[in-house]
Amino acid sequence: MTLNDDALIKKDRLRFTRNKLSANLTLLAIVFNALYFVSIYTSDVGSYYYRLIIGISVVYNLLFMLIAFLASEGVKGYKMAYGYLLLALGAGQIIRIFILPMDAKNAVVHLEQTEQIVMDNAQFTWVCVLLVVSAVLCFAAGIIGIMKTGTLVKYQAELEKEAKGSGT
Amino acid sequence: MSELKLQHLDKIYDNKVQAVFDFNLDVKDGELIVLVGPSGCGKSTTLRMVAGLEDISNGKLIIDGRDVTAKPPKDRDIAMVFQDYALYGHMTVYENMAFSLMLRKENVNVVHQKVMAAADILGLTDQLNKKPNQLSGGQRQRVAMGRAIVRTPKVFLFDEPLSNLDAKLRGSTRREILLLHKRLKATMLYVTHDQTEALTLADRIVCMSMGHVQQIGTPLELYYTPANLFVASFIGLPPINTFDVVIKDGHAVNSEFSVALNAEEKELLAGYENKTVVFGVRPEDVEQGGEISVNVFSNENLGQTTLVNGVIGKHKITCKFREWCSYKPGDLVRVSFKRKHFFDKETTNAIR
Repeated sequence: MTLNDDALIKKDRLRFTRNKLSANLTLLAIVFNALYFVSIYTSDVGSYYYRLIIGISVVYNLLFMLIAFLASEGVKGYKMAYGYLLLALGAGQIIRIFILPMDAKNAVVHLEQTEQIVMDNAQFTWVCVLLVVSAVLCFAAGIIGIMKTGTLVKYQAELEKEAKGSGT
Repeated sequence: MSELKLQHLDKIYDNKVQAVFDFNLDVKDGELIVLVGPSGCGKSTTLRMVAGLEDISNGKLIIDGRDVTAKPPKDRDIAMVFQDYALYGHMTVYENMAFSLMLRKENVNVVHQKVMAAADILGLTDQLNKKPNQLSGGQRQRVAMGRAIVRTPKVFLFDEPLSNLDAKLRGSTRREILLLHKRLKATMLYVTHDQTEALTLADRIVCMSMGHVQQIGTPLELYYTPANLFVASFIGLPPINTFDVVIKDGHAVNSEFSVALNAEEKELLAGYENKTVVFGVRPEDVEQGGEISVNVFSNENLGQTTLVNGVIGKHKITCKFREWCSYKPGDLVRVSFKRKHFFDKETTNAIR
């Protein structure tokens, strides 16, 4: 097989280059998740956040970052499973919008006989954007990873077949 | 590929130590020049001046008709292979080879083609996904060469590339470099202190000592017609045997032996009658049978040849006989000298 057309070269390159695009997108998703994490607790609303759901949220954030980092290394090495894992993580980020931000949005707490809104619309929009961007990055990383891995697997199978055919 | 001209190059360090004196060399397109000499003779400094890693104190460096004396290394279009490979440990072989091209922002597909072609030449295709620490010394050196090849530079520079390899690997890698040179037809400047490398690789050798060029010539020229005693001693293994002799009545005479001169030698040494000169004979030019007695003190069999060390009176001599010998210490061997060299005692220059 001679490397004389761009499409073929592009495929052949996959054998020796890592999927840095997916890996970097995943790392960026972690950054946006971290931004979300520090943005959600900015309002001074007494003990509103001291609930079980907050504990779960903290643990999930840690797990997300750990798993997303592992997935970034996995997709870098063209491992198909990590591509699907990234899609799942992306879906998780979308689902999260409907848990804590939605719960805190326009919720009211009473502090010293005055009513106070836990999360106003601006903060809600901001944390939702962070989660959505994080999710989109995970989806993109996953889809690119799956596509590239599929191409590579197919190409390697072709090479193997060709090698068997030529008896080498 | 291209021509290289080094004109009156000097290297003077800030502390006024001069490492290279008036170095002149014209390298033709596709030529492989080996700079050889003992440690500290200025060969690596010269190479680094060509690479742009050392400033040139005086003189000019011209590559392909373009004066690059003051140009930084990146603008000289030169690739250098170092003794310690200088590979990036965290990158794969492929990434190491592609790195310089990626820095230049070359098209990734073109980079891939160049890397694959270089890997094919060097037999590294199966190693491209490995990291340098998973490779043998020889393979690492090939990666370093590959990194130079992909750039298709005007001149390749090699700074003692085989010094870190064991003897067996050095031999095979040396042959690979030679094949590479023939295949690429590249202009190469190669530094080594190993005369075997110099003799086997070079189109021409530049022999240096103490910052001065002693002789420039083909390997055969340096071996058969050394310009001075230094070149004669440095080129050839084991080194040339030397004796002080007086030229008298058509003979080279010392306290232990007298060697008759042939007509050509007599004519050459006509001006040295009754004067002391240095007489040199290479171990391989000492033949068994003759009038000079060598008192053997060691006999080293090397397979097809035997190195016999002994003394003529109190003068040590090494003989290299082309057969298996079994002399014992104390044996007397009669020898004669085939090809003789004569050097001026004061200037140490060859008498020609």
